[in-house]
Amino acid sequence: MSQALFSLRGVVKRFDQREALNLERLDLEAGVITVVEGPNGAGKTTLLSILALITPPDQGRLFFDGQDLPNSGSQLTAWRRQITLVAQQAYLFDTSVEKNVAYGLRLRGLERAQREDRVGEALAQVGLAEFGPRRAKRLSGGEMQRVALARALVLRPRALLLDEPFANLDPASALVFERVLGELSGQGCTVVLVSHALEQAHRVAQRVVYLRGGRLAPDAGQGPSA
Amino acid sequence: MDFFLGGLTRGLGLLINLDPEVYGIAWLSLRVSLSAVILAALAAVPLGLVIGQKEFLGKRFLVVVFNTLLALPTVVVGLVVYGLLSYHGPLGGMGILYTPWAMVAAQAVLAFPLITALVIAAVITLDNRVGPTALTLGATPMQAAWAVLKEARFAVLAALAAGFGRVITEVGAAIMVGGNIRHYTRTFTTAIALETSKGEFAQGMALGFFLLVVALAVNLASHQLQARWK
Ligand SMILES: Nc1ncnc2c1ncn2[C@@H]1O[C@H](COP(=O)(O)OP(=O)(O)O)[C@@H](O)[C@H]1O
Ligand SMILES: [Mg+2]
Repeated sequence: MSQALFSLRGVVKRFDQREALNLERLDLEAGVITVVEGPNGAGKTTLLSILALITPPDQGRLFFDGQDLPNSGSQLTAWRRQITLVAQQAYLFDTSVEKNVAYGLRLRGLERAQREDRVGEALAQVGLAEFGPRRAKRLSGGEMQRVALARALVLRPRALLLDEPFANLDPASALVFERVLGELSGQGCTVVLVSHALEQAHRVAQRVVYLRGGRLAPDAGQGPSA
Repeated sequence: MDFFLGGLTRGLGLLINLDPEVYGIAWLSLRVSLSAVILAALAAVPLGLVIGQKEFLGKRFLVVVFNTLLALPTVVVGLVVYGLLSYHGPLGGMGILYTPWAMVAAQAVLAFPLITALVIAAVITLDNRVGPTALTLGATPMQAAWAVLKEARFAVLAALAAGFGRVITEVGAAIMVGGNIRHYTRTFTTAIALETSKGEFAQGMALGFFLLVVALAVNLASHQLQARWK
């Protein structure tokens, strides 16, 4: 078994006293596509938000690459820059598609020429090569999700977190996501994908984890359904 | 009808003839009010961002406080600032009473709650995914706050425009702390008040017309800024 990129120990998250997540122990291996399944309200989105270092857990510890991460503080940005999240209905900034995709690269101080190259590459990867100058807010839902995917891919993150990537996607966009996931699995990128049980998710999964009521279901940690 | 028409033609006349006194008044009004808005915005925009974005105990109360401060009469602000800046007041040592700086101070106090309240409203009504999205793409908390401001840019610039409108049109505070001194602290509104008290209605109307032209120019400039800021 390869080394874990994320390790959660006794992680608890509550909203208004109610427990949304309670994970005694969860390890997510590096370079593996893990699918987290579970019904609505199981805590899947909460889990991704904790892994993305956006929501601090109320209790427990989160290790990334063997490092015990603090709950908050300015060092967190450096860790966050190795991880990125594509939300279920991703928010696109009110500007052009290319500026959306370039945003994270600008934050990382990349030169303009380099940015343009990588943005072009990422847009081509999601089948939106010609969309650069278009206004992001005017796109269809599927196109928006693909832009959000490109905006994440362009960062070449060590960990890519996807929240329900196949929900409400048109078939063409769903195919793009599936293809990109296939490509990523060969590149050592760690992917955590959340979904309610869906065929497409199973096709790309190398490991499936079940979440119910904020806890790991007993059959968690098994290999892929194949 | 003559009253309005006369004012309008005289206003145009003032504009075209480059009447130096009137242009001096316009320039001072513009400088004082823009400085006041900038000064107020330096505090109000970050404060509005923080209040709008963070969840904390007493947030609603604070919003109510700022909304209430919108009703602050300008003469009351003038009175308070006068008290602070007057010779025996706590800030009397600065010696700025009856200078343009005193008017800047009073107008900044006046604009501050308005800009804060409008920025809070802009941020609260903005999609709450903006900040987290910026963070997941690698933004520092400051950069994420900037992203929020940028997404709310139309409303934020409208807040600044509203602040400018409030201060360039107010008369009570400017008279009290500026003193309406000719060639020194006489602004559009204090000049209009004076002309009206002298019975020079057409001159007052003309100045009012000129004020609107200046406000139009400022808003056009801010609109340009809006179009470019994306
Ligand atoms: N911001 C929040 N405030 C209050 N409750 C929340 C919040 N986010 C999630 N929850 C609750 O936590 C539980 C888990 O939610 P979530 O992680 O979104 O589940 P899933 O993504 O699996 O559908 C749900 O009961 C949900 O209502
Ligand atoms: Mg969810």
